[in-house]
Amino acid sequence: MRTGVVGLVLAVLVLAPLLPRAASAQFSFDARRVGMGGVSLSRDGNARRYNPAYRAVKNKNQVAGAPKFSIPVPLGLIQFFKDHPINQLSHDPMFSPDSAAFNPIGLLDLVFNPPIFLEVKKAPTPTNDVAFTIGRNQLVVDLGASRVLIPEQDFGLGSTSRLFDAGAGFGGFNVGVMGFLEYDVKFQLDSTLRSFLVSDSTARPNTPYFVNIDGVAQAGFAPTVSFAGRILRGAGGNDTDDGLYLGGALHYYYGATYGRAVGPAGFTTGAPVLGSTPTPLLDGLVSTSTKPGGHGVGGDVGLVWISGPFEVGAGVDDIGAELTWSHTKIQRYLYTTSTNSVSRTVIAPDTTTKTKLPVTYLANAAIHMGTGTTVGGDVINSGRGTVIHVGAEQRTGPFAVRGGVSRDQRKKMQFGFGGGVRLGPLGLDVGFWTHSNSLSTQRAITMATSISIY
Amino acid sequence: MKALAAALLILVAACGKGNAIFNVDVLSFLSASDSLKRFSVPVGIGQADSSVARRFFLPPGFGKTAADSVSASATASIIDTAGSGSVQFDVFFARTQAALFTGTPYLSANSGAMVAGDSVRLLPPTTVSLADTVFQKDTVWVGIRGRINKNLTTTMAGRFRLNSLNVRIVVRGNIL
Repeated sequence: MRTGVVGLVLAVLVLAPLLPRAASAQFSFDARRVGMGGVSLSRDGNARRYNPAYRAVKNKNQVAGAPKFSIPVPLGLIQFFKDHPINQLSHDPMFSPDSAAFNPIGLLDLVFNPPIFLEVKKAPTPTNDVAFTIGRNQLVVDLGASRVLIPEQDFGLGSTSRLFDAGAGFGGFNVGVMGFLEYDVKFQLDSTLRSFLVSDSTARPNTPYFVNIDGVAQAGFAPTVSFAGRILRGAGGNDTDDGLYLGGALHYYYGATYGRAVGPAGFTTGAPVLGSTPTPLLDGLVSTSTKPGGHGVGGDVGLVWISGPFEVGAGVDDIGAELTWSHTKIQRYLYTTSTNSVSRTVIAPDTTTKTKLPVTYLANAAIHMGTGTTVGGDVINSGRGTVIHVGAEQRTGPFAVRGGVSRDQRKKMQFGFGGGVRLGPLGLDVGFWTHSNSLSTQRAITMATSISIY
Repeated sequence: MKALAAALLILVAACGKGNAIFNVDVLSFLSASDSLKRFSVPVGIGQADSSVARRFFLPPGFGKTAADSVSASATASIIDTAGSGSVQFDVFFARTQAALFTGTPYLSANSGAMVAGDSVRLLPPTTVSLADTVFQKDTVWVGIRGRINKNLTTTMAGRFRLNSLNVRIVVRGNIL
């Protein structure tokens, strides 16, 4: 029990900072978008998801040069299964915890960063010695260069998804239903623990070292009434997309289930530091809905302005989306030293709690030049850090050249470049994208390939 | 100790291809009676041992791979309060208690001939053992032995003190 609890805490410290890399390394299966640094120049994907006004704007696939859809060519999977034959997966060290070569971080990276595309340049594997000085009266941990992995602020992972969004309507009005799923797990190192790992390095006797954990997950569906329409026409008249578009949606969120866990987890050293086994520290409150029926109201708004080759849009989602859960059970999980076990106590068998969906902001702009050049960019923040994409595409006959840059959630600059050729209704696109290893200043390069259907 | 060792081992995963280096002050985990032994070998016995055996828990991951290298160092001192003879100081590591004190010790030093009133400081040379499999288990036994050799016709008494015992274990990354 103690081994697991104490180990879990430090595992979180090591594993969690690696997750954002995975999320930023592969953001799309479309080689065109990969080659432009992550920006999408078409009016689908992020634009329609986060800006309801885009529902009134014609999709870009009706514009010359833009494909209807793209199919990824998973060259990375070919290499992966060459290295890890399917018929030998049960003995593969990557998936066998009993193997000396088993690396949980590598496996986690594989889950969050599936090798769909080919890694043409691998980042050098970080080399760093970690030294532990262990004595009855002392515990000193020198992480060396790995200290940079220890986050200064809270860290974690989360996502807000709309699993489906279906409906029907007329005249710009739409009635439908969408499914939502939101999870967010945050970890924050207690200042004593952070100081121990980063600067002090020496554990003190009778001192708690812990991480504050706050995790929530909720899912449900939302009947929706929305409107999207062109409220002002531009100089080009009805034959063009010019004009000002406005969109809005009102959701009645109906939560199906939710759970939340809050509390510290860690250990308390003895006196002397290792004179006795460190005592696990676990005191968490877990709230779970006992019945579906969380409810709340929220909305999305957005606008798009198009004038000739230029368009700009802004959208905000899930404004005021707070769900009230009328039937929630709250339990306390507490590690008890005397029994060496975790006890569970029901604090409130049936009470009311509230949760929120994070507000998401998206701003985008693009200019379509007559010379075959398209330049665009977007800024998106879904409550977990701002991501910026800027990219450009130059088309000349059947050929296209692309490039772009991005600033990911970790505020690191990444670069994309690529090209494509179109032969009638088919096109082949290649995109290269850099991503960084947590402990290395050198970037790796991933090559994405996809077939476009025009 | 075992819990914390396991927790620390998880941090090793952060070092990629680097090494995990454990510098363990073994002496600090021994009791005062373990580190200071008094001996008195009567007439008629030519050789006697004074030994200590203690078990240490290692992080579970050690069970999967051999340590890349293990180096050990120690210092000890002998005070001869009566009689004459010599003391052989040995340190052993083994996977089981039964295997302790067999084979070649990791550390070894001899006081040489001593007479009453002598005080000798023992400084066995640091040893380095490569690809050591002794640590390929969740526990390791540490054995410290003082072997008193003397003439059968005399007595020998004195004190044996272990002043330091440090072990440095270097393990390659990916030992989880």
